[in-house]
Amino acid sequence: MINLRGSPGTGVTDATDTEVAGGDSPAGANPAPGDGEPVVDLADVTKTYEGAVAVEALSHVSLSLPAGSYTAVMGPSGSGKSTLLNLVGGLDTPTSGTVRLDGQDIAALSDAERARARGRTVGFVFQTFNLMPRLTAVENVALPLVFQGVDRGERRERAADLLSRVGLGDRLDHRPSELSGGQRQRVAIARALAADPALLLADEPTGNVDTETGAQIMDLFAELHEAGNTILLVTHERRIAEHAERIVHFRDGVIEDVEEL
Amino acid sequence: MDLSETLRISVRSLRSHRLRAALTVIGIVIGIAAVVTFATFGASLKADVVSEIEGSSANEVYLVASEGDEGGFGGAGQPVFTEYDLSQLREIEGVQRVVPRGIVPVSAIAHDNETIAQRQVTATNATAFETATFESGRPFRNGASEAVVNRPAARLFPGNLSTGDELSITRSSGERFEVTVVGVVNGTGGQLPFSSFTEQPRVFVPADPFYQSVVESPNAVSNQRVYSQVTVVTDPADTTATQERVREYFASPRSDAARLLPEGYEVAARTNADLVDSIERIVTRLTRFVTGIAVIALIVGAVGIANIMLVSVTERTREIGIMKAVGARSRDVMELFLAEAVLLGALGALIGVPLGIAGGWVATRYAEIPLELAPGWFAAAVAVGVLTGVVAGLYPAWRAARVDPIDALRYE
Repeated sequence: MINLRGSPGTGVTDATDTEVAGGDSPAGANPAPGDGEPVVDLADVTKTYEGAVAVEALSHVSLSLPAGSYTAVMGPSGSGKSTLLNLVGGLDTPTSGTVRLDGQDIAALSDAERARARGRTVGFVFQTFNLMPRLTAVENVALPLVFQGVDRGERRERAADLLSRVGLGDRLDHRPSELSGGQRQRVAIARALAADPALLLADEPTGNVDTETGAQIMDLFAELHEAGNTILLVTHERRIAEHAERIVHFRDGVIEDVEEL
Repeated sequence: MDLSETLRISVRSLRSHRLRAALTVIGIVIGIAAVVTFATFGASLKADVVSEIEGSSANEVYLVASEGDEGGFGGAGQPVFTEYDLSQLREIEGVQRVVPRGIVPVSAIAHDNETIAQRQVTATNATAFETATFESGRPFRNGASEAVVNRPAARLFPGNLSTGDELSITRSSGERFEVTVVGVVNGTGGQLPFSSFTEQPRVFVPADPFYQSVVESPNAVSNQRVYSQVTVVTDPADTTATQERVREYFASPRSDAARLLPEGYEVAARTNADLVDSIERIVTRLTRFVTGIAVIALIVGAVGIANIMLVSVTERTREIGIMKAVGARSRDVMELFLAEAVLLGALGALIGVPLGIAGGWVATRYAEIPLELAPGWFAAAVAVGVLTGVVAGLYPAWRAARVDPIDALRYE
């Protein structure tokens, strides 16, 4: 088993915030599955979008993601998946209820604090990869560390290390346009891991790659899970969702069913 | 995020749009270069004029009767200063010498068989040459048929004039008189303002006997010579107070000039410092005006930066979303875009300043004056370039910072 959590000695530390995961142990700073505080904790969360007609995208949702868990979220479009993703990723705040991310109430943070917290707590993997087109693979992976104030040498070292772990050690200085879809998604996964976050948040990670590549990506997530990462996977494909430990089904802004696998 | 990282990212994004960045920078370059060119030219012009005037001593007060406050230096001026006034001036405390000047209108000057047309010769007295440097010869004697010429005048004749040469001068009236050149001056030590500045040929003759403008002195009640310009040489330690006493004299009816002055005219008693001041004021005003026009070019450049930055914000909405998703604060994003705009402005200034200096150099060559750099302006130009970047970049950067990552990441 390869370790895709923070590697020894290269953990991200932020002098201004001792809460940041130290990453000195191979399993990272997050507690082992099943014990301690959940990485994500939604309590009675409602999100309403104001407009001509107010739309309740999430309605009194409570959901907890224990450290080390692997959860898939399924549901048709308009079911509240994206809203959930935005809240859990710290991109948005709830209308009511509380969203705790690594123990911290995101609504209580200022925009700037939330941005910083997002950078070190959540690693995003998007369907469309969302890599910076002008940055090389290694620079893309190192980007979250730029905003965490990690110095240049250390950033590059850690990014190169992560890229070689996802099998792209020979593509460090390639730009996204020079990489295949599967390679791009692996760069994105490496980037999501750069700051050694408490949570990996994947939004349809296989949506833009072929089936075979998709399978490789899912294998990579399985490895990451085994290595102790907490993963939240949003998908509409049951085949993909089945990689997780449990599937949470959303419909019309509420949790319809939780399926343990 | 530290500054060096911000700059590195900004430089990279500018380099990815080289042509666009270059075109934007050209706008600033033109603005800054125009400002620097005109500022340099203005500074050179001022320095040139001032050095000409300051070459003469500071303890002289120039009297001229002119209309209003401005102007009146140089040739013009009403003939109001009588012999009586001159003798009264000599009595004023702090006055060392009084040098009158009058214009003798002539039509031609002849030497040997060579006749040249000339409009005027200057009538003065021997004291005018006390601080002058003679290339050869000596000052004329009052009352003698002698003349002093300056070098440009000496060169008017083939083989140049030299001491001992005879000149035949024809007045406008047609009357003729003969003088002997007794000296060639190399500048007149400033006692005749602008004499060295204009480098015009000048022939000096003694007022007695050749100056014929005469008026009845209201105070002395006798016919006297009357001059249009007078230089009062003062005690250097007491120039300002003496200048004041001279002014008082001309303000009172005790002076002939006060009584002879036409309505609306006044006697200006100015020192070299006053002269320098007023010329500086005029040149500065002119420089500011022209530089102001150049500033318009700079504003156009700033609009160019703002425009291109807004385009850039729109194009990079998705990138902004990505950066925010991976932990960039709004402030980080703002700094990135602001840094880009400032880099454009600073780059424009860095290229524009040397280009402007070159432009100033060309302008001074063309005007045949020495180049005088104005380093204060260069620093200001760079500061203005940076400031232009800040001002032009502020709004686009603010827009960038406000990009909502949720919308931006959905942006296709």
